[in-house]
Amino acid sequence: MKAIVARHRSGARPRWHLFLWAPLAISAALLILPQASFVWMSFHKNLGMGLVSDTLVLDNYLRILSDPFYLGSLWLTFRLSLEATVFALILGFPAAYCLARARSSWVSLLVVLLLISSFVTIVIKVLGLSLVLGQEGVVNQFLQAVGIVSEPLRLLNNSSGVVIGLVQYTLPFLVMLLFGVVQTIPVSLEEAAELHGASRASTIRRVIVPLALPGLIAGGLMTFNLNMGAFTSAVLLGGGKVLTLPVLIQRKIFLDVDYPLAACLATVLVVLVFLFNVASVLLLRWNMRSQRPS
Amino acid sequence: MATVALEGVSRTYGSRSVVDGVSLEIEEGEFVVLLGPSGCGKTTTLRIIAGLVEPTRGIVRIGGADVTALPARKRNVGMVFQDYALFPHMTVGENIAFGLRERRFDQAAVESRMEELLALIRLPGFEQRFPDQLSGGQQQRVALARALAYSPTVLLMDEPLGALDLKLREAMQVELRRVQRRLQITTIFVTHDQEEAMSLADRIVVMRDGRVEQIGTPEDLYRRPGSAFVAGFIGKVNFLRGSIQSVSGPTCVISLGDGLVVEAVAHASCRAGSPGSIALRPENLTLISPQPNADSGRILGTIEQRRFLGNVVHYFVHTTNDQVLIVEESSTGRILDVGDGVGVAWRIEDAFAFGADEPRG
Repeated sequence: MKAIVARHRSGARPRWHLFLWAPLAISAALLILPQASFVWMSFHKNLGMGLVSDTLVLDNYLRILSDPFYLGSLWLTFRLSLEATVFALILGFPAAYCLARARSSWVSLLVVLLLISSFVTIVIKVLGLSLVLGQEGVVNQFLQAVGIVSEPLRLLNNSSGVVIGLVQYTLPFLVMLLFGVVQTIPVSLEEAAELHGASRASTIRRVIVPLALPGLIAGGLMTFNLNMGAFTSAVLLGGGKVLTLPVLIQRKIFLDVDYPLAACLATVLVVLVFLFNVASVLLLRWNMRSQRPS
Repeated sequence: MATVALEGVSRTYGSRSVVDGVSLEIEEGEFVVLLGPSGCGKTTTLRIIAGLVEPTRGIVRIGGADVTALPARKRNVGMVFQDYALFPHMTVGENIAFGLRERRFDQAAVESRMEELLALIRLPGFEQRFPDQLSGGQQQRVALARALAYSPTVLLMDEPLGALDLKLREAMQVELRRVQRRLQITTIFVTHDQEEAMSLADRIVVMRDGRVEQIGTPEDLYRRPGSAFVAGFIGKVNFLRGSIQSVSGPTCVISLGDGLVVEAVAHASCRAGSPGSIALRPENLTLISPQPNADSGRILGTIEQRRFLGNVVHYFVHTTNDQVLIVEESSTGRILDVGDGVGVAWRIEDAFAFGADEPRG
């Protein structure tokens, strides 16, 4: 502190980065300590009534990785997250593209609305969805009136509901991220493509998507990660029938009071998400390097 | 038949008129430069020809056909962008082949054409490189090859040399003219740099406020400027302000104040009894001994500043009627000093008088 101020007095620029050590240490502690404690917990045996063994065991891991129930839940979580990610990208990228390319004063207003909608707590969003998606909800009434379906679709209390909820939850974040990505692609590249004879479809396929690809993958990973950990939509729109890992973890803690198994599920979830991200990034880099010998 | 023709082309954005009734005819194989200060509508005019901007009024013809409603990709034009707009994720080869692949050329045709083009732009063996591994000048040439690959009817260039430093820029001008002559391709080039325009163009179109101010060869524009604006924009020029006393056919008499009355070549904008100015090129002025016989084309003054530029010397002469004239003299003669009293003389046919329409900015 003294050194910093002294430097400042002597006329040099203060070394602001030195002030960052304290918040960094606190953040690291707050992040690592709880994680470390549940990872530690996952290697203990459940003795019932919230008690755990003193000895370290691998029982929980062996149980999860051999029980079709837990493996099924893991696969379900992965599948729903991936589905929701794909839908979000399909919906989000065109929206982000139009938003980034629009020359209207409405754009900044729309981006602000997007930002605000991402602040709305997920419980409120999900509650709204459960009204809209019900058998008598607006969506089903519309689909029937237009004649797309004759019977009302079941959009609640099943995995469709969960996927819709996840897309609703992640879309604002994804659109904002991709908005920034599209803005980094110069319009002149699209003009050059068009001028040199490319159709709109060809420009998208040969220019826009390849240039946006790193951003699409980053956005996809962000969305996927949010989805893997999403609890609220799975519980409220799944109606207790869609048992994803976050839902199971909550049940293990509050219904079964089995802390070690819950901790173990959480560890498995975190490790798998982490590995998935690392693998994706490596794949992307490998793919880019194979295209481009340096 | 003109390769490119514009007929009364206009473009407005809201109430702002960017291009205002431009008509042009560009012959086959011609190198035409659209020249003007920023905001004069030259780039918009080029983009209208390219099909990237739709004109609000008027007709665009390419190769005789009305292409006003045709999308850019069907106009068969090539374009080099200001920032080159090379596709960063594609190699040089893929960039050059872009237009050929969109036109469904087969692999053999693409390869032979690419080899030809790389030889033309003097970058053989560069097809596997990526744009960010090239220098500015090399990127520029690749952009040129990409635009030429599919033998477009017309080549459009939007300030393509703006980002290069002076030396490279001059080298690229020579290179560009070489390629253009070799291929005999009709070229429209946009710039705000009058020297670049002079060195490249067969004809220059000077634009101002969305309109065509004058069209002519570089020599025409320099020797017979159609307006004070053109005189001021093409080459260096001194303006002496005064009031026009009388106009008689091709000449007029103009009073410059302090009892100074001179004769000059009259422009159509000259009206007797209204303010005007005469334009004098520094190299058409000569310094003479300060004899106070106020002939026509003779003005007295004092040297206020001297700039030795190697082959020439520029003298800033503060005249008795309180204006400043730049006089260019060869540096081989006697060099005069600051504070020396001098006379400035010129030939009547080198003085162009213009009416009230004075150059802006």
